[in-house]
Amino acid sequence: MAVQPDSGGKDDVKTQFATREGTYRLMTLSEYSRPNRVGYTSGAGSSHVRVSLVSLPPGSGGGAPGSDGHGSDDRICFNHGKELYVYVYRGIKKAADLSKPVDKKMYKGTNPTCHDFNTVTMTPDSVSLVIGFSTGQIQLIDPIKKELSKLYNEERLIDKTRVTCIKWVPGSSNLFIAAHASGQLYVYNEELTCGTTAPHYQIFKQGDGYSIHTCRTKSTRNPLYRWVIGAEGSCINEFAFSPCGANLAVVSQDGFLRVFHYDTMELIGRARSYFGGFLCVCWSPDGKYVVVGGEDDLVTVWSFSELRVVARGQGHRSWVSVVAFDPYVVSFSDPESEESVEDDRQKPEGVQCYRLGSVSQDTQLCLWDLTEDVLKPPMRARASTHLSPNSQSFSPNGVPGMKLPKGGKTSKIGHKHAELSQTAAGEASGAKQTKSKANNVATLNISVGKAKEESSGTLGVNSLTQRLAGFSFGDRRSEHRRNFSLSSKPVEQKAPAASAVALRGRGAGAGAGAGAGAGDACDPLKLIGTPACPRFDECPVLEPLVCKKIAHERLTALLFRGEYLVTACADGCVNTWARPARAPSAERAPRRLDRSERADRADRPDRADRPDRPDRADRTDRTDRVDRIDLVD
Amino acid sequence: MSICQDLGLNFQQRMGANISQLERDIGSEQFPPNEHYFGLVNFGKHAIAIQFYRPYIFVDHLEKNIATQKKKVGSIAPKKFIARLRKEKEEFDNYMQQDAHEFLNFLINHINEIILAERNQSTLKVQKNTSGENVTCNGTLPQNTEPTWVHEIFQGTLTSETRCLNCETVDVGQNTSITHCLKCFSDTETLNNDNKFKCDHCSSYQEAQKRMRVKKLPLILALHLKRFKYMEQYNRHIKVSHRVVFPLELRLFNTKCFQSDDAVNPDRLYDLVAVVVHCGSGPNRGHYISIVKSHGFWLLFDDDMVDKIDASAIEDFYGLTSDIQKSSETGYILFYQSRDASC
Repeated sequence: MAVQPDSGGKDDVKTQFATREGTYRLMTLSEYSRPNRVGYTSGAGSSHVRVSLVSLPPGSGGGAPGSDGHGSDDRICFNHGKELYVYVYRGIKKAADLSKPVDKKMYKGTNPTCHDFNTVTMTPDSVSLVIGFSTGQIQLIDPIKKELSKLYNEERLIDKTRVTCIKWVPGSSNLFIAAHASGQLYVYNEELTCGTTAPHYQIFKQGDGYSIHTCRTKSTRNPLYRWVIGAEGSCINEFAFSPCGANLAVVSQDGFLRVFHYDTMELIGRARSYFGGFLCVCWSPDGKYVVVGGEDDLVTVWSFSELRVVARGQGHRSWVSVVAFDPYVVSFSDPESEESVEDDRQKPEGVQCYRLGSVSQDTQLCLWDLTEDVLKPPMRARASTHLSPNSQSFSPNGVPGMKLPKGGKTSKIGHKHAELSQTAAGEASGAKQTKSKANNVATLNISVGKAKEESSGTLGVNSLTQRLAGFSFGDRRSEHRRNFSLSSKPVEQKAPAASAVALRGRGAGAGAGAGAGAGDACDPLKLIGTPACPRFDECPVLEPLVCKKIAHERLTALLFRGEYLVTACADGCVNTWARPARAPSAERAPRRLDRSERADRADRPDRADRPDRPDRADRTDRTDRVDRIDLVD
Repeated sequence: MSICQDLGLNFQQRMGANISQLERDIGSEQFPPNEHYFGLVNFGKHAIAIQFYRPYIFVDHLEKNIATQKKKVGSIAPKKFIARLRKEKEEFDNYMQQDAHEFLNFLINHINEIILAERNQSTLKVQKNTSGENVTCNGTLPQNTEPTWVHEIFQGTLTSETRCLNCETVDVGQNTSITHCLKCFSDTETLNNDNKFKCDHCSSYQEAQKRMRVKKLPLILALHLKRFKYMEQYNRHIKVSHRVVFPLELRLFNTKCFQSDDAVNPDRLYDLVAVVVHCGSGPNRGHYISIVKSHGFWLLFDDDMVDKIDASAIEDFYGLTSDIQKSSETGYILFYQSRDASC
């Protein structure tokens, strides 16, 4: 029989690992766990330990309640078994002080499963923490002030199953979303009650493989919406908002990634696992790629603009439990392409590199470099556009002086359109598919515009004008670009290169698009060999840059921050890894980051969905950002 | 024999409560018609192992026995089956505990032999085979080239050598997935030490490497996890309780269809349909239970007890992440059924 080195259990647990930017080291004094680890029971069932980190606004005097006087504004929350802890998080500078948790909770008859801090309403001495439980209930607390405590779905009238993922709606002070093992996702307003009876739903919107319902009541109550997603009763394992806050990616046990436009509730695209459920999902910092991990032991990269699986990463020995981009390690091979982040798909010579991290039940951490030469469509047409290295502006067809903060998103849209049209025109089998894609694009464009209005209205977050300006600007630009109009038939448009397609083809493109017909589109067997689920040899396979066993137990959390990364495993230990002291190759990274951040920031209200991301930068405080960049450097 | 009687009594006593519980759990409207969920009374050793095969291999008399029962659920004592088994194979003619994997292999191969033997007796006749399909045997061909339903269901082909995929054994690593174990199984095997490869060129035994690729995928993929390992320091086998996760849906990575005329489907998507679980601390004793998916329900067969369980409870049988605990309930043989076969 096959001889397999039984390495899984015997490998030493690593306390450091090297990458090309240097060595990451475990900070042994920065280990967070329950205060007293005596009597620790290993293997305490299926404990999915999750970590939420938040950076509170700096307090005026520094003596805020809950602060320990050491000047750290970071708070960390994690759950383990029936317990939930909130500590002052002191990063890598000071040892963890486990004797004085900011708050600790012990629950009876239920386990906390997930949690999220609200980064919109937080102040130096208060923060809202929403917690989901294994029996379906939801609690809202303020771990610092301790005055607040509300319960939702208390009687389990809304959903009896485990809350699998809970997050605040980006930029919202009062809306949060809870996903359940029942395959349903509910939008709550923390200010509303849940009523004393089970909700009666009426259908609000329906699409391929999902439906959205509202409560049929006289007075508004929770849940505001119910999304039913995927095969009946197939657990939603995680969801994630795009960095701009407009799109929602949902992964389920039925093996599907579904990406929705959140406000219009339209399905934009989908991908299907090689097999088994998808367990985790994240967006690239620029919103161009969605990465998912799952029971196929793979990390799957899906392109938002092309609506196809562009690469798979193979390296884990078991199910992938968390995927996360590292927004601090971004590098470009070509300095001249620096000003073209949002356009680099048009520019093969400007190779961009994303850093992705993943952790798995195999107790290993993998780091991956996603380079544009892998991600770009094969045989991509060269754009006729030129970029002047010195100018801040990107002028494809005579639209001058585009400043990035405004252009970030819109140029992306225009670009997306171009890309798809290329695809479409190149697609030999043509018209029908093309049409579905084109429709798709149109939807996308419209919805983006709409989203801006809507989200500005409802969420009431910054710079409506800016975003509207961005929208109209993009509109104009798209018209200019190669005469592509937003809504008309791209079939008639000439793509620069007809060769674009060979790999894409297989005549089955429909499966990936939202325009695909019902029925067949959801049958996994029929999706095999389509852009939503290419065969294994039809899609580039990446190898991890780093693959290290870093824990004794299966890993359940991974967060990237400016100075460190945070991992957690099922036995309830949260570990901090210091980044390389000085990153030799990351010299340009801060600037890149700065730019992509800026582009990013321009179109997103907030980043409440990912507390691991640089939240403070989002409050558009220039000094904050500079601060952080210095740390990276 | 006293054990059997005890169990028999026991079964009589608890039958009432347990059986109606299962019917309650499933609900009378949803209870699949023509389906009988019967536990099997534990006859010391044999019955423990046969629970898993029941949904797939229809051993005539046993099946008839159950099918003629009026009750939807219950348990029967597989006396006739055991008696036949003892007659057929002397290794089983005792009360020693047996390995489920060896038993399965014996059973499958033995059924196959019987079919072939029957076929030899009636060449040139159209025979109705056990699975109900008509198989025409061409008398001019050697008898054994015609595949039996056993082959159809269980046999796959590997390319480095044609090797039956019946219950392929895979080594297990701690905190891995069945996918990874399969990959290790098929990737590269080093032939060394006692296992050296005799090279035709240099006519000597050499270390060698061989790779295996699945060329033909079986309808039912039966995966045997090698959960028993010889430990030199103890001079005996120990049970390997490593946590090996297995998904409800599986697809193989290393499928390659070399010949286009090969009527194989390399894209086969498999669904987990049954698991034989070994309970206990050591390799030489313990207890088998099995979980079986039937009409969308997961049922746990534990001797004469049949219970409905939630699919999420399957994770209890993945194994242990630490060696502290001695006893474990771990998936031992996994049955995956090809989706195109089930519809």
